[in-house]
Amino acid sequence: MPTTKEKNTTPQQRNYQQLQQKHEIKRPVLKNCLKAFFVGGFICAIGQAVSYFYIYFFDFTEQSVGNPTVATMVFFSMLLTGFGVYDRLGQFAGAGSAVPVTGFGNAVISAAIEHRTEGFVLGVGGNMFKLAGSVILFGVFSAFVVALIKTLLVIWGVL
Amino acid sequence: MITRYQILFACLFLLAACNHNAPVRDSQLALMKTTNPKPLVTDQNKSNDSVKEIKKDVSSFPELYDVAVIKGKKDTLVVYKVKHLYRFKMKKIEKNVNKKLEKKYPKENFTVSSDYKIFLEAVRLDEQMKSAKFSHKEAEKRLEDIVKMTDKTK
Repeated sequence: MPTTKEKNTTPQQRNYQQLQQKHEIKRPVLKNCLKAFFVGGFICAIGQAVSYFYIYFFDFTEQSVGNPTVATMVFFSMLLTGFGVYDRLGQFAGAGSAVPVTGFGNAVISAAIEHRTEGFVLGVGGNMFKLAGSVILFGVFSAFVVALIKTLLVIWGVL
Repeated sequence: MITRYQILFACLFLLAACNHNAPVRDSQLALMKTTNPKPLVTDQNKSNDSVKEIKKDVSSFPELYDVAVIKGKKDTLVVYKVKHLYRFKMKKIEKNVNKKLEKKYPKENFTVSSDYKIFLEAVRLDEQMKSAKFSHKEAEKRLEDIVKMTDKTK
């Protein structure tokens, strides 16, 4: 049975849709996944090297090395975004460059660059966290929920 | 015309050549490969038989693969690396190691850790103790510092 959307279309429109579907280029999902996997893995390998650098040359333990490593990776991605390299990497790798913490840095700095003509306060300040703000919000909220669950489990003696 | 990639490769090869004759110490690769350092006693006049026994006991855990043991005046430091697939059970493994050691050696005061930094420092202390300039007192002080660092990670 045709849906309401199909009912509203004319035979010409339906023919056109069929023709369009016939000529539409299929998304190379597997290829994209592989690209994302390898580029994302490479970024994580760099992160691992940075954390080993901090463990080896400074007094950071495995527990405390996360903070400077994340800060360094975000700083790298900010530089690469400023030079226009990260955008090209993003086009090539997709989620592979967006999911690691470097994607967060890219989201912040690209918004800041985009809106810099509108002024420092209303432009850069107001739009900097447009995309990254939701990441921070949900990150902090989910951390709160997980910590609450863990606290309750510890109080009840499960953990 | 020389491209920037050729310059980059030339720099990489030239810089790599600088390190050609430098001896590779265990601590340089301690984070990446199995070093298996010898069990140590900070006071080298004392026998290290008991420390060897502790290392043997800890190495018997199938989840662990690189164990360092250093015995000081007060504390005995036990550091190990956990096999990758067992890293989700780190707390449980640490609890089991502690339990086994305290049961078998009730008089010892154990500090157990699986932190890479602590392991690296244990290997570095082993290397420092090999030099004649490094005294027992200095070794004891360094061990105390490492134990303090371990307490911070918990």
